[in-house]
Amino acid sequence: MLDITSLLEEIKQRPYTDLSIKTPHTGIIEFTDLNEGDKVKDASGEFKEIPGTKIAVITREKNPRFIHACQKGIIQKLHKQYDKQFVEAGVEIGVLRHFLSKEEVISILLQKALHLFRAPERAKYYFAPEADKKIKISGSRSITVTDGMELFIVSRMKREVPLTYHGPEGIIYQVYFKHNQNVDVNEPLIGICPPDQLQTIEDVISRVNHEWKEQI
Amino acid sequence: MEKQHKVLIANRGEIAVRIIQACCKLGLKFVAVFTQEDVHSGHVKLAKELGDDKSLYCISSYHDANEILSVADAAEATAIHPGYGFFAEDFRFARRVTERDRPLIFLGPSWRVIRELGDKINTKRIARSLNVPTVPGSDRPIYDESEAEKIARTLFDFQLQQGVEKPLVLVKASAGGGGMGIEEIHDIDLFRSVYRRIRNYAMRQFKDDGVLIEQRIKNFNHLEVQIISDRSGKNPVHFGTRNCSIQSTGLQKRIEIAPGFDPKTIQYTFDAEKVLNDIIEHSLALARKVNYDSVGTWEWIVTKEGNPFLMEVNTRIQVENGVSAAISKIKGKGGVDLIAEQIRTGLGEPLGYTQSDITFDGIGIEYRLIAEDTDNKFTPWVGDIENFTWEKAPWLSMHTHIPHVTKENPYTIPTEFDPNLALGIIWGPDLETAKQRGKEFLNNLVIAGSNAQGQSLKSNIPFLLKNTDRILKF
Repeated sequence: MLDITSLLEEIKQRPYTDLSIKTPHTGIIEFTDLNEGDKVKDASGEFKEIPGTKIAVITREKNPRFIHACQKGIIQKLHKQYDKQFVEAGVEIGVLRHFLSKEEVISILLQKALHLFRAPERAKYYFAPEADKKIKISGSRSITVTDGMELFIVSRMKREVPLTYHGPEGIIYQVYFKHNQNVDVNEPLIGICPPDQLQTIEDVISRVNHEWKEQI
Repeated sequence: MEKQHKVLIANRGEIAVRIIQACCKLGLKFVAVFTQEDVHSGHVKLAKELGDDKSLYCISSYHDANEILSVADAAEATAIHPGYGFFAEDFRFARRVTERDRPLIFLGPSWRVIRELGDKINTKRIARSLNVPTVPGSDRPIYDESEAEKIARTLFDFQLQQGVEKPLVLVKASAGGGGMGIEEIHDIDLFRSVYRRIRNYAMRQFKDDGVLIEQRIKNFNHLEVQIISDRSGKNPVHFGTRNCSIQSTGLQKRIEIAPGFDPKTIQYTFDAEKVLNDIIEHSLALARKVNYDSVGTWEWIVTKEGNPFLMEVNTRIQVENGVSAAISKIKGKGGVDLIAEQIRTGLGEPLGYTQSDITFDGIGIEYRLIAEDTDNKFTPWVGDIENFTWEKAPWLSMHTHIPHVTKENPYTIPTEFDPNLALGIIWGPDLETAKQRGKEFLNNLVIAGSNAQGQSLKSNIPFLLKNTDRILKF
């Protein structure tokens, strides 16, 4: 049985994650006038069309590109020693402390409550055409999966092979992979909610909605 | 070389390793790039060992021209070697490299040559103007149904005249590639429906409904001619032929042999010596016509009757360049390195030798060692390599980007790239000895590992062993 109280307490002890801000590609980096301790906003708007706070601009081949805050939070560190320097791809230029939202807390708890079907290998994953079509129209929770169902297409090294779901029957409550992105081995692909667990899941959501106070 | 050059290697894996080695051989500085997935690759390790503090950069993608060029500037490179794949045959990239504010040398053919020969239809047109045989069919995209059907009927009739019992015609989307938008027809009455299907598909996918109609040739050998020319484009020479007919079910090469046939020990139903000479002469004629100015490969198919047809020209160094080098001598000296030759001449040095200075000796066999399940449609195997060893021999050269591995320190095969692990090149004074050495090499080779499910590594070694017996047989 899931002990929601103790899990919530555990998260409350450390209600944030420290996110590394990395360069998306090579180029000459220039920081904006942000400083450590400053608050930043994430992307907003109905379609997330308004970008988050500008942290730096990276220029290569005369093309400047802003590095925006991808989450709201507080700037913990800025590695200003790189200012106006050429940097490689994937270099950490700062650290952002992001305080967990209700949705994120629910997601953490659901990973413990749902049956997780994990990636058998590092690859890109797609839903099989039939399931994909249904999910696009009615959402993932419209799909009930059963053991032995051909649910995914695994794509790696230009080859595609089908992947069968194994596990309890239930609805796809959460989808953890993104289109065209690699998933590491053993990372969860989907979270399944068996019919008899639905009440537990709803309890989790209800508790978080009532108890979690968002910071910043 | 008058100027001290620095070569940026816009590639990864085995070819990056070999370009680093070629640069060092020529006394040139280099700069290598890698993505996060390749952080443990041998080319990264070698760049750290042999380079200076501006010899290795992490980039976001090998496909991003901006990344490559920004590193070239930061590292003060003067030339870019594209290797094979990625930007190797992209004339726009080659043009951008040479025509930007801070121009660099593109170590491949000039962009005009890449553009001219990169277009298969254009290659066919130039070839036909020189009476070089090409696969029978249209030499331009066809947009008219009646014209397309007329060509298809001619091809059916031509094959019947040639004694082909079951003639086949290919209908291909002109703008397609990689096997997309191709169907074969065995009955001319079905032509119109297939033509319309492909035309509509081509319009949807490529916004161009041009269609090519070609003869489908079955039961053929895949041959290649290795050409090199300096920047003058006036004096191309060849480094012989290769036979690349042993392929996977997906038509990917697995064993390459130089030369393309061995009429000394194998009886062919046609004059193999003449076929080899003919494809060499045709390839050189085409190279002269376009002022070819780098390393390149002319790909041919040769039918059971010994009729050669030019398929395409690959305007780059190929994976299998080493097997041609293995049997070649320049002015009597072995140890030919076609990658170093490409760099040297690409930077402006004259070739320095003529065809009469190039001689050939023995047989070369190249095995592509790949982690794959050959019994299951050659599906790539992914996991950790924990042991990779082979017995050294004077007749063997191994090219690999797999670093030294142990069970405790394995190498994880990245899933983002082609699954090639290594190339093993065998030399023998004659075909029998080469085959025998090839088998000895494969039998002593150890590639072991396991995946996340604890399953053992699957490699293509049994497939390579089995197929060694049929090398060069037609």
